[in-house]
Amino acid sequence: MNKKTVLFFIISLIIGVCVFIFALTVGKYEISMSDFFKAVFTADESVATQRSIILNLRLPRTIIAALTGIGLSISGLLYQEIFQNKLVSPDLLGVSSGSAVGAAVAILLGFSSAIISLLSFCLGIVTVLITLILSRQFKNGKSITLILAGIIVGGFMSAALSMIKYFADPMTTLSTITYWLMGSFENSIMKKVYILLPIVLVCCIVLITISWRINVVALGQEEAQTKGINYKFYQLLIIGIATLLTASTVAFSGTISWIGLVVPHLVRLIVGRDTRRTIPLCITFGGIFMMLVDIFSRTFTSQELPVSAVTGLFGTVIFVVILLIRRRDYNVH
Amino acid sequence: MSINVQHLSYKYPSGKDDVIKNLNLSIKDGTITVFLGLNGCGKTTFIKLLAGLLKADSGEILYADKKVSGLSMKERSKIFAYVPQKTYSADDYFVKDYLTYGFINSLKFYQTPSSEQLDKVQTISERLSITHLLTKKMGQISGGERQIVSIASCLLQDTPIILLDEPTSALDLKNQNIVLSLLREITKEGKTIILSSHNPNHALFLESNVVLMDKGTIIKQGLCKEIIKVEVLKEIYGENICYSENLNYKEISFQ
Repeated sequence: MNKKTVLFFIISLIIGVCVFIFALTVGKYEISMSDFFKAVFTADESVATQRSIILNLRLPRTIIAALTGIGLSISGLLYQEIFQNKLVSPDLLGVSSGSAVGAAVAILLGFSSAIISLLSFCLGIVTVLITLILSRQFKNGKSITLILAGIIVGGFMSAALSMIKYFADPMTTLSTITYWLMGSFENSIMKKVYILLPIVLVCCIVLITISWRINVVALGQEEAQTKGINYKFYQLLIIGIATLLTASTVAFSGTISWIGLVVPHLVRLIVGRDTRRTIPLCITFGGIFMMLVDIFSRTFTSQELPVSAVTGLFGTVIFVVILLIRRRDYNVH
Repeated sequence: MSINVQHLSYKYPSGKDDVIKNLNLSIKDGTITVFLGLNGCGKTTFIKLLAGLLKADSGEILYADKKVSGLSMKERSKIFAYVPQKTYSADDYFVKDYLTYGFINSLKFYQTPSSEQLDKVQTISERLSITHLLTKKMGQISGGERQIVSIASCLLQDTPIILLDEPTSALDLKNQNIVLSLLREITKEGKTIILSSHNPNHALFLESNVVLMDKGTIIKQGLCKEIIKVEVLKEIYGENICYSENLNYKEISFQ
């Protein structure tokens, strides 16, 4: 990491901690800073209600939001690098569509929240596996066939989701499915944190370890292979990590759009394309972005706003600003 | 340590005919070999087979009497460095970063280039007069500069053989001269250069060995002065080919 990256990483980390603390204090039940510190660092019984709200409701919710932001930002960045296309999202190989079908089936059959998450996660992974198997049938080993297979399988899953929604009861299950598809951190509990945290942590450690190599993989198959990289292995590893991150976050929070596109672009605008610099900043920026979105979604109106609607509103505006700043670059090429 | 190609054949999965047909060839160490021929004659395919980007249907490639077909890409990248025709996916990388990627086959998966290796980047850049490009992005430099940077990356990869797929195809005359002069200089250090080209004058300039290809087979091979003759080239390029020799230059052109 160069000095600029270290500086931005430290600044964003400090901002991230501030936003995290702020997220624990704001909401329908306002908690003052003095009450917050008393509730967290003392056993004072006068702030028992505040402590319960912070530890049981807001802490898991904020952690899940931050982890979701990290997971989706990094997987967006990885897909964009691997497929050499800055406009692809984490759903390129159908993972979100598959997860959505898994969750919709579980909701339709009346399963519990845990089973909804499990089925959503499993079907997200299975969808990407089907995409990989289908692309192999074309036998030309090119990235474009993988993208094509992703579009086909993703399209199939979207059609399946439409069918499920058609058969769902409009008064009960359909609204639940629709609400799930719009993304929410409302049902976050510490048990989900204990599952999601190690997944995101391990994925981040692996990615930071191989971050320099990802640059070479991003040069494309010809150059990467002749420079001595086992391209297919790294391509599969990176797709595997991106899929795991997307499927696990979507399973707990529903489908959330735009963040996987906006955060990598924002980070690249600041530190360039080198993944040694972009991955650490995607972690901090992605976490901050999603925590802010969560704060907004639960405080802007008396009713909670769907997360995907908020990421879409902010994401599109930020994306336009990035495009305007980088206008000159896009004109050159 | 020479390259020996024995009965090499290759057909693209989607194609009907062999693009490379029972090719036999020997390339000596420390030489420049230029592959000439029309579009689709198999030049690029042959270079890709050497680089390991394509897998031959039959036949063998031997280097120092050892088969290279069983080698992993990492082992192979210690023998062959490759300069593709286009490197557009590197546009957003800084030249200094791109050059370091030449070291990847000598590093473990968790390692990044050492300070010694970074010094080597500086040394090679000074030698090839590209230090002023190091802080620029690959997309901001000219086509000629880009080819020199790619060749510099191959030198940092430190392989005995450098493969170049039409390295001058997108360059103006001045940049063609710079790149070809650089290749001639590198060969003096003992490197083996294999390149494909559409221009027989490049072979004349490099005073190289020439392999003339047509429809996947070798029509003629030998020293440039034996092959770059009007009657030989007419077989490939047609009747309008002519050759002029003056005090200062030799040139193949069309009438």
